[in-house]
Amino acid sequence: FFFFFFFHPNMIKGVIIVNNHGKPRLVKFYQHVSSAASSLAAASLAGSSAGTAASVSAGPVPGGGSAVPVRIAEGEAQQAVIRRIFQQVARRPDSFCNYLEGSVPEWGEGVKLIYRHYATLYFVFAVDAQESDLGILDLIQVFVEALDKCFENVCELDLIFHSDKVHHVLDEIVMGGMVLETNIMSILTAISEQNKLHNASLRGSGLGAGASSLGSATDSIRDKFGDYMR
Amino acid sequence: MSASQSLTKDFFELIKGIGEAKSKQEEDRIILQEIVNLKRILAGPSSDRGRGHGNGGGSHSYKDDGFSHHSSPVHGRDAYGSNAHAHSSFGKATDRARDIFNSAKDAAQSATAAASAAASSNMVAGGPPPLSASKKRSREFLVRLMYVEMLGHDASFGYIKAVELAASSSILHKRTGYVTCGACLSPSHEFRFMLVNQLQRDLGSANVLEASVALLAVSRLITADMVPAVATEVSKLVHHGSDMVRKKSIFALHRLHCLDPNTVAGPDLVAHLRRMLCDRDPGVMGATLSIIESICCGTGVHSRTNKSRNPTTAALYPTATPFKDLVPSLVSILKQVCEHRLPSDYDYHRMPAPWIQMKIIRILGTLGRGDLRSSEGMYEILSDCMRRSDTGINVGYAVCYECVRTITTIYPNTVLLDAAADAISRFITSRNHNLKYIGVTGLAAIVKDHPKYAAQHQMSVIECLEDPDETLQRKTLDLLFRMTNPINVQFITDKLLQFLRTTSDEYLRRDLVTRITQIAERYAPSNSWYVQAVTALFDIAGDLVRPDVAHNLMTLIAEGSEDNEEGDEDAIRREAVEMFVDLLDRPAAPSKILMDTMAWVLGEYAYLAEESLDAIVIKISALAQKPGHAPSTKKYLVAAIMKLVAQAGTCPPVATHVIDDFTRSRDVDLQQRCLEFQGMLATANHLLAEVLPVDASCEDIEADAGLSFLDAYVQTALANGAASYSPPAEDDSDDDDSLGASVARKPKFNITPYAEPTKPQHQIKVDHGGLPASNGAPNGTHGGNRPAPGPEAANTLQLRNVANVWGKPAPATGGAMPIAPAPAPTPGAGYGNPPSQPYGNPPSQPYGNQPYGTAAPAPSAGAPREMTEKERMAAALFGGIPGSGAPPPPTKGAFATSRPARTKPAPRAAPPAANPEPTPPPAPAPPAPPAPAPLEKSMDLLDLGDFSPVPHTAAAPAPHDPFAAAPASAVPPPPPAPPLPAPAPAPPADPFAGAGLLGSSTDAPLGGLANAQPPANSLFQHAGAPLRPKTLSTPEFGQRWGSCPCTKMGGAAGSFRDLAQMMGVLETTGLHPVEAITATGEGILAGTVQDALVLLHGKMGEGGRVHFTVKGTQQGIVDGLVAFCTTRLQSS
Repeated sequence: FFFFFFFHPNMIKGVIIVNNHGKPRLVKFYQHVSSAASSLAAASLAGSSAGTAASVSAGPVPGGGSAVPVRIAEGEAQQAVIRRIFQQVARRPDSFCNYLEGSVPEWGEGVKLIYRHYATLYFVFAVDAQESDLGILDLIQVFVEALDKCFENVCELDLIFHSDKVHHVLDEIVMGGMVLETNIMSILTAISEQNKLHNASLRGSGLGAGASSLGSATDSIRDKFGDYMR
Repeated sequence: MSASQSLTKDFFELIKGIGEAKSKQEEDRIILQEIVNLKRILAGPSSDRGRGHGNGGGSHSYKDDGFSHHSSPVHGRDAYGSNAHAHSSFGKATDRARDIFNSAKDAAQSATAAASAAASSNMVAGGPPPLSASKKRSREFLVRLMYVEMLGHDASFGYIKAVELAASSSILHKRTGYVTCGACLSPSHEFRFMLVNQLQRDLGSANVLEASVALLAVSRLITADMVPAVATEVSKLVHHGSDMVRKKSIFALHRLHCLDPNTVAGPDLVAHLRRMLCDRDPGVMGATLSIIESICCGTGVHSRTNKSRNPTTAALYPTATPFKDLVPSLVSILKQVCEHRLPSDYDYHRMPAPWIQMKIIRILGTLGRGDLRSSEGMYEILSDCMRRSDTGINVGYAVCYECVRTITTIYPNTVLLDAAADAISRFITSRNHNLKYIGVTGLAAIVKDHPKYAAQHQMSVIECLEDPDETLQRKTLDLLFRMTNPINVQFITDKLLQFLRTTSDEYLRRDLVTRITQIAERYAPSNSWYVQAVTALFDIAGDLVRPDVAHNLMTLIAEGSEDNEEGDEDAIRREAVEMFVDLLDRPAAPSKILMDTMAWVLGEYAYLAEESLDAIVIKISALAQKPGHAPSTKKYLVAAIMKLVAQAGTCPPVATHVIDDFTRSRDVDLQQRCLEFQGMLATANHLLAEVLPVDASCEDIEADAGLSFLDAYVQTALANGAASYSPPAEDDSDDDDSLGASVARKPKFNITPYAEPTKPQHQIKVDHGGLPASNGAPNGTHGGNRPAPGPEAANTLQLRNVANVWGKPAPATGGAMPIAPAPAPTPGAGYGNPPSQPYGNPPSQPYGNQPYGTAAPAPSAGAPREMTEKERMAAALFGGIPGSGAPPPPTKGAFATSRPARTKPAPRAAPPAANPEPTPPPAPAPPAPPAPAPLEKSMDLLDLGDFSPVPHTAAAPAPHDPFAAAPASAVPPPPPAPPLPAPAPAPPADPFAGAGLLGSSTDAPLGGLANAQPPANSLFQHAGAPLRPKTLSTPEFGQRWGSCPCTKMGGAAGSFRDLAQMMGVLETTGLHPVEAITATGEGILAGTVQDALVLLHGKMGEGGRVHFTVKGTQQGIVDGLVAFCTTRLQSS
C-alpha cells in the first residue's frame, strides 16, 4: 500500500569549503536552512553581525516557493550557518575526530558535520544520521582527489577563480543531496570529456566533433589515470 | 588548466582584499565596491567604447567612468582608491600575480602561471571587451557573481547574464550558466521560468554532455509548477544509451516525483528503479541504490512551502514494503560486489565498490527491521561482508560499521550480535579518534536492546569520557544516558552535570538538562539524592530547566520523607534547608528557578535550620533588595519573609524595609500582599501565626461551605422581617436523586464527586480530563472562580503515572519485578573479573526481560580491596548492567527494596501547578480533618500568579470567596483512596520498561502489555505514561515524520465506513488528529508520551480495512502503540 509523507530525499544537507580564516570557498546547500531555527542560532551567536546588505539572496534551494522576506532571512541564515560551522570546526585540533554533532540546528536534529582539514582548507559535509560516518570521510577524499586531478595540483586560489568548475566536479559526485557517483574514474571522465568538448567548440569544430570525440576522451582519461588508485 | 587562465586583475585584487580584510565591515565594503564594479562591467561596453582603449600604461579608466545612476564616480574612486592607484603599471600587477602564485603553487608551475597572468592582464590592458562578445569574460563575471553571493550579498542585477550563458553553445559556459542559476536563483525567482525552454532543448540534445548538464540543472532549478514541462523529456532519458545520462536521469526523475507526484507517479518511479537496479553499468546501479535507500529510510523531510497548491496532495510514496521482495536481489548484488565481480576501477583502496556495499547494507537494515524472514536471508552475507571488510583501512572499517548498524536494527541474531560487539570493541579500543567515535556510537546502538554488551567496555567508555575531544565526550554521554539504570544513575548524573558545567554550547546544554531531568526523575535512588541533583542542576543551568521540575522538587520536599523506614519526616527537609541556607551566603545571585525554590523552601521550613530564623529573614531580605528580580521571584521572596516573620514573631528592620518598598511595587498583587501584611503586623500581630501557619503546605484548606458564619447575620435579618431564601423549584429533581437526599438541603452547587473512584486513580483522572476525581471540585459550577486544569495539569498526570510505575509497583506485579537483591548467579565475579557468563542469551533470559541486577553478585561479594580511580568509575558506571560483574553498591540495593514499600505516590510527580484547588493560605477556619488519602492531599505551595490565574490575598483573615472554599467542609470527604493503588492493572510489569534500555527486542513484552490493557476508552500508555495529544500543523507533522527514527506498521480488519469513524477510534487512544484527508482516505494524528513524539498515519483500505504506520522517537512506544491501536481498531 501507499502512504504519504513530505519528503526531502537528501541525506547530504550541504557542502561547504572554508579556509583557515573562515572565508568560504564553496557553499552548496541541498536543503533550506529554516529561518526560525536560525534566528535562535543568531541570537546565541555572540558577535555575529548580520551584515549591512539589505537584501541577500536565498540559497540555491530547489523545490517550494518562498516570499521575499523569507529569502532575506534565509540568506542571513545561510551566512550564520557558515560562520557557525567555521567556528566549530576551526577550534578542533586535527587530532580530534572528524565529526561534530548538533552544532547546526538550522538543518534539523540529528544532522552532523563531517569534515576534513587539508592544509589551508576545511571540507565540511553536513549529513543526516543515515549517512555513513566513515564513508563520507572517504567521499571527501575522493572529491579532493578529483579536484586535484582536474586542477593539476589544486590550490585554494583555484577554488575561487574556478568555482564553477568546482561545482561541476561536486555535481558529478553529489546530486540533489544524494551520492551519485563514487568512482573517481567516472567523475574524471565526465569532467575531461566536457573540457575536450569545450576546447573543440572553441576551435570552431562544433558540437558534432565534440560528440564524436567522446569515445577517445574516455579512453585517454583511463590511460592517464589507470594506475591512479594503486 | 591553471588557475590563472581566465583571471583578470580586479578579480584577483578582490580576492586578495577579501583575504586581507580584518573585519566583516571591511569585507562588506570591498564587496559593495565589487558590486559596483560588476554592475559597471555589465553595463560597460556601451559606455567604455572609445575611452579606455589604448591607454595601456594608465589605470583602468573604465573604473572611474561611473554612471550617476550607479554611484558617483568620486565615491567609486575613493572606495577603490588604494587598489586602483597601487597598480599604475601592469608590469607591477604581473609581478604581484607572480608573487601570489609562487606562494600558492609549487615552483615548477609558477612560470606558466605568471605567463598566463600576464596574458590575462594584457587582455585587460586592451580595455574591457564587451561582455556579450567574450564568453570567457562572461564566465568570469558569473564566477565573481557567485563569489559575491557566497559572501552573503545580493547580486541579482547580474542573474540575467547567467540565464544568457546557459544558452551558450559551449558546454563549459552553458554549464557555468546553469550552475550560477542553481546557486543564486531563489526558488521563486521568475528567471527559473525563463530557463524552462532552454532546459527542454538541452534535454533533447543529441549531445550526451548537454543532456547530462540539463539533468543536473533540472534537479536544482525546477519547481513544482514546471514539472509537467520537463517530465516527459526526463522520463525518456531513463533509457538513454549513456550511463552518465541514465544515472542522472533517475535522480532527476526522483526529484520531479518529490515535487509533483501527480505528474511523475510513484509506481512508475518504482518500476524504473527496479529495472535500473539491474543496469549493466555499476554506476547506474549505485545511483539507483541511493534513491532506493532514501525512499526506504524516509530520511529528511520536505514540507511543501508552495501554498498555492493543495497542501494535502502530498507525495504518494511507496514505503519500504514494495522493496521487501528485493532482499534476495540485493543480497545477491552484495555478494557479487564482495567477490570482486565489478570492474576494478570501482575498487577503492582495493576494497570492491565500498560505497555500493554500504548502500546495500543500509537498505538491508531498513528492510529487515523487525522482520525475521527477511533478516534470515541477510545473516550470511552480512557475516561474510564483515569478515571481508576487515582490511585495516578506513573504508574497510566504514563497511564493517555499516554491517554493525544493520545487525543492530534487523531481527537479532546472537552470532552476528557477538560479531558486531567484537567489531565495536575493536573500534572503541582503537587509538584513532574517528574509530573511537564510531565505536561509541555503535555501542549506543547495541546497548539499546542488548545491555549486556556494554559491560566489556567499561574502561574504554571511561577513557572516551575523559577524552579532550568534545564530540567524543558528547557521544559518550549519549551512550551513558542510554545505559542509565537505578544503580548507576548517581554516577551518570554526576558526569552529565560536570559536563553541563563546562560546556557553553546552548543546544548541548538544553539537551543535557532534559536528559538529566529525565534520568533523575526516572531512576532517583532516594529523595534526598534527587533534591541534591536537581538543585545542582538549577544552579548550573537554571535558565533551561522547565518550571514544573521546580514544582516537583517543592512538592517532594513538602511531602517530606514519610516513606522512609526511619520515619524521620524532616530529614529531607532539613537537608534541603541547610543546602539553601548555604546558598544564601553565596555572593552571586542564583538563577531564578533556584531562587524561587529556595525562597519557598526556606519560607516553609527554615525553622529546621541551624541558623536562627532572624538571621535567615535578614539574608532573604537582603537578597530581595537586590535589583533585577523577576516579579514572581519577588513574590516568592516576600512570601518567605512573611512566613518567617510570622514564625519568629519579630520583624527585623530590613524586612520591614523590603515590605515597605514593595508596597509601592508596580505589581498590584505584590503590593496588596505587602499592604495586608503591614496591616496585620501593625494591628493584628497575634493573627500572624494563624494566617501563616508552620508547615501547613500539605494541609487541606478547610472552608465552611454552609457559610455558617453568616448564620447570625441571617437570623438578624429574618428577625427584622426579611423574606427567607427559597431554593429554586426542584424541577430537576431527577438529577438530584443520584446525589441522595442528604445533599438536597445543601447549597445547589454540585459539590460531590462526579463518580466514585471505583477504578484505579490514574485511570479515573484520565477519564475526567485531568481533574482528579477525588477532589470533588465542582468545576463547572464555580465558573471563573476556579481555574480549569490547564495543560500543566495534564502534564502532572503524565508524570504522576510515571512515578507510580517506578515508585510503587503494585504488589501483584512486584514478584515478577527484577530488583537488585535478586539471587546472584555469579557470586564469584569481582570488579575486575571478566564476566563469566557467555554472551549468548540463554533461553531463560531473553534480553528483553533481563533484570538489571540479576547478573550482579550480592553486595557482599568480595570486592578487591584496591581499585584504581578509573576502575572505581567503571564500577559505578556499570553497576547493574548484566554481565558487568560489578556489584551494586549496598545502599542502592537497600533502596531498591524500599522503593516498592513507599506508601505515597512519588511526590515529585505531582507539581503543584496541577493542584486544581488554588486555595488561599490557611484561613482561621475550623480545624481541618485529616487529609483522607495522600493522593487527595491538597497542597498550596505558594499561591502566586504562576500557578493560578486568580490572585489571592495572602493575609486574608477569612475566606473572602466562599465558593473557592466551599467543598471541603460541606461534603464528607470522599472515601479514602487506597493508600496503594494495588489493583492497578495498567503499570507495566517491568518498571524499567520505559527506560529505553530494554527497548523492544522483537519478543518485546510491551506489545503484549499494550494488548492486556483495558480495552475500554482508556488512553494508550507506555511505561505508565499516558499518550497525550500533540497539536501539530500538517507541515510540522510532515517535518517530524521524516526525523522520527522508529517506524512500525500495522493494520486492522475493522469494518469502518468512513475516515471520520477511523479517526474517531484512533483519537480515543489519546492522539491528536492533525488532518483527515477524505479524498484519499488518509488521516494523520500526533501525540506524545512524556517527551517522546509519536506520529500515526492511517489509511482506509478496501473493505473497511485500516492500514497505519506509527513513527516515533522511541521504538518501544511505537511498538506498543501499534499493538494498542490494532486492538482498539479491531474491537470497534
